[in-house]
Amino acid sequence: MRRRIVVLLMVVAGFGLQAVTYLFLATPIGKPTDDSFSNPRVPFAPALFILGVVLVFLAAVVYEVLPENGRRESR
Amino acid sequence: MAARLERLPFGVGHTSGRWKLWMAVLAAIAILGWYGWYLELSRGMIVTGLRNIGPMGGATWGMDVAFIVYFVGVSFAGITVAALVRLADVKALRPIARMAEALTVVSLVLAVFAIMYDLGQPLRGIVNLFRYARPQSPFFGTFTLVISGYLFASLVYLYLGGRRDAARCAEVPGRLQRFYQLWAAGYGDTREEQERRSRASFWLAIAIVPLLVVAHSTLGFVFGLQVGRPGWYSALQAPSFVLLAGVSGIGMLIVIAAVVRRTVAGTDRLDDGVFRWLGNALMILLLAYLYFMVVELLTSIYTGAEREREVTEALLSGRYAPIYWAAVALLVIPLAFLIMRYFRRGAGLTTLVASGVMVNLSAMAKRFLIVVPSQTHGTLLPYQPGSYTPTWVEWAEMAGLIAFGALLLAVFAKLFPIMPVEGSES
Repeated sequence: MRRRIVVLLMVVAGFGLQAVTYLFLATPIGKPTDDSFSNPRVPFAPALFILGVVLVFLAAVVYEVLPENGRRESR
Repeated sequence: MAARLERLPFGVGHTSGRWKLWMAVLAAIAILGWYGWYLELSRGMIVTGLRNIGPMGGATWGMDVAFIVYFVGVSFAGITVAALVRLADVKALRPIARMAEALTVVSLVLAVFAIMYDLGQPLRGIVNLFRYARPQSPFFGTFTLVISGYLFASLVYLYLGGRRDAARCAEVPGRLQRFYQLWAAGYGDTREEQERRSRASFWLAIAIVPLLVVAHSTLGFVFGLQVGRPGWYSALQAPSFVLLAGVSGIGMLIVIAAVVRRTVAGTDRLDDGVFRWLGNALMILLLAYLYFMVVELLTSIYTGAEREREVTEALLSGRYAPIYWAAVALLVIPLAFLIMRYFRRGAGLTTLVASGVMVNLSAMAKRFLIVVPSQTHGTLLPYQPGSYTPTWVEWAEMAGLIAFGALLLAVFAKLFPIMPVEGSES
């Protein structure tokens, strides 16, 4: 159960970070009207987007590698 | 778990004198390439054949960019094969899934190097990309999604897919035992772990396929969305990039699989079925790509604007014609081989490997022809046609990268089973 929760949180956080970065932190979307359209609203926003992608795929590693409450698994 | 291993499979951990000689040759070529990069960093881009477009009559994107596109294209094969094995349950491809994943990782690493070679200030370029890149820009999709996301996803796929074999290899005492234990990370091949592996690989495959399409398409958009550059601006660029990526990737995989079959696997583990499948896949991708090429060509000749036609003429009968027609021949000849092979239903591994090599040579030439002619010909401002000739530094850098890639794959094959260990393929 603990593993599933961690994995789910990672996937949600990863996709959430991607969406938030793309829509609210990176360079504004739309027709440029002033200088603010040239730079990201938060520095290193693209790096945060990549972090979101990495989190999603890292969730697969956690899902497979993280033990489930130290319980022995049957063969 | 299956029967205990007596020794490491597929020649892992054993190096012959011949293998060491090959590695020394590859390492020497790779070092020559890095020396070329050192010259580029210390003396500036003047040591390359790159010059400004227009007034200096040159091209600012040359061999480096052509090979970035080529290496990213080759990476297509690995994840596609891995995803096909899982999503479409293509059992014939299971033996080559790991070598395909390794090919993806290695070719993406080479693409990173090619990007660094193209930048006069590599560190500034990389840092600023993560700092300022616009997610709406195709460059973002290409250089951050491809290099970071796609590479990371491929590493995860390779790592998780190898845990079972790592656990089996960890049973064999030796210098690499600790390495295998770390890779296996406690994998015990229990029923729960097998089910978890199956579920995780399924969802990973589902997540990777869109990433794959986005990554290869955005690379096409880097060129296809540039409205002011005749020869590049086309709706067909993105799908063409995906198709040529498939052609070069599957072609390279055929070559690697044939080398593995000849050196360590034998015909039992890598049977003709694998090569038949790869040959048919290559044939279909080649047919589709040639169709796209003809459509693109007819459009630019028949209704293309004046500048568009200037680029097309440079390709068909001008400065770039020898490269263009050689590239076409290196696509058509393999296609003829593959069609004959399909109807005869024979193995014909030699012709298949020759086809794999030819389509890769063609892909390199095609990438060069996509990148360069639109910069030297057909400029919208009234400049005379220019030229671009790579210097020995650029040739050395690219030869060095190819040698480095071969070296990485060869070393990986000596550290870890390049194919699934028998009894581990469930």
